[in-house]
Amino acid sequence: MKILIADDSRVMRQIVTRTLRQAGFGDHELIEAADGQQAVDLAVAEKPDLVISDWNMPELTGIEVLRKLRAAGNDVKFGFVTSECTAEMQQAAEAAGSAFFIVKPFTAERFDEVLSPILG
Amino acid sequence: MSDPVVTEGDLAEMVEQVWVSYLDPEGVSPLVVHGDNKQSSEVHSTVSITGSWHGHLVYASSQYAAKKAAAAFLAMEPDEVSQEDISDVLGELANIVGGNVKAMLPTGCFLSLPTVVLAPDTASYYPAAERISGLYGSWEGEPVSISVWQSMKQEASA
Repeated sequence: MKILIADDSRVMRQIVTRTLRQAGFGDHELIEAADGQQAVDLAVAEKPDLVISDWNMPELTGIEVLRKLRAAGNDVKFGFVTSECTAEMQQAAEAAGSAFFIVKPFTAERFDEVLSPILG
Repeated sequence: MSDPVVTEGDLAEMVEQVWVSYLDPEGVSPLVVHGDNKQSSEVHSTVSITGSWHGHLVYASSQYAAKKAAAAFLAMEPDEVSQEDISDVLGELANIVGGNVKAMLPTGCFLSLPTVVLAPDTASYYPAAERISGLYGSWEGEPVSISVWQSMKQEASA
């Protein structure tokens, strides 16, 4: 499977990559986006099977990325990894079609729990 | 006076999670809180919160503590990390704690992207805001602090 990791922090993209590996998902192909617009562009061009996105990013926020993709008929599996975890945000994410919500700081166990049903 | 919206105990819980997850997964070098709010820093990062609550979250530390944090995040040695890595990690630390602080505030708040300042925290001013809580400690002998500043204007109009 191809996974797109969208986060404006290069360090956080590396941590998500490392955590995916620790959680046993190291064999998947990983691609990265450094802002929201790039995430939309790569989600369209690279056709990933899953998008793991930060919420607060330059250009477009994560929720804007998700809404933009869905409005264009793109049904890629999409979830958030974010430090922000209010109920209103989780509801907005779910309403827009998000599959999961992982809060920073996170552990490999949390990745395993959330992503196993999606990645198998 | 009533308790602040975010107490030192709340900050301590958030910081512990950050240490366990990224900075000290082995549980051997926690942040030791001493409460000395006069301790000096060399670098800091901030996120602003606006909306139904106005204020700032400030993460400050020595340059070496920032370097050690970047090394821990990246699973590298402190001497291997670049200045860019250090800035990135400082911003992310403010973002992570700021996001968790935001979750404790009334609904309708927005978190800014982080700002990183490679200068002591005393170099930044927060006009019309006062510090409502802070966690001051040392990490393997290096100063680290997390503080929350609330706009006084909002308090007056509340």
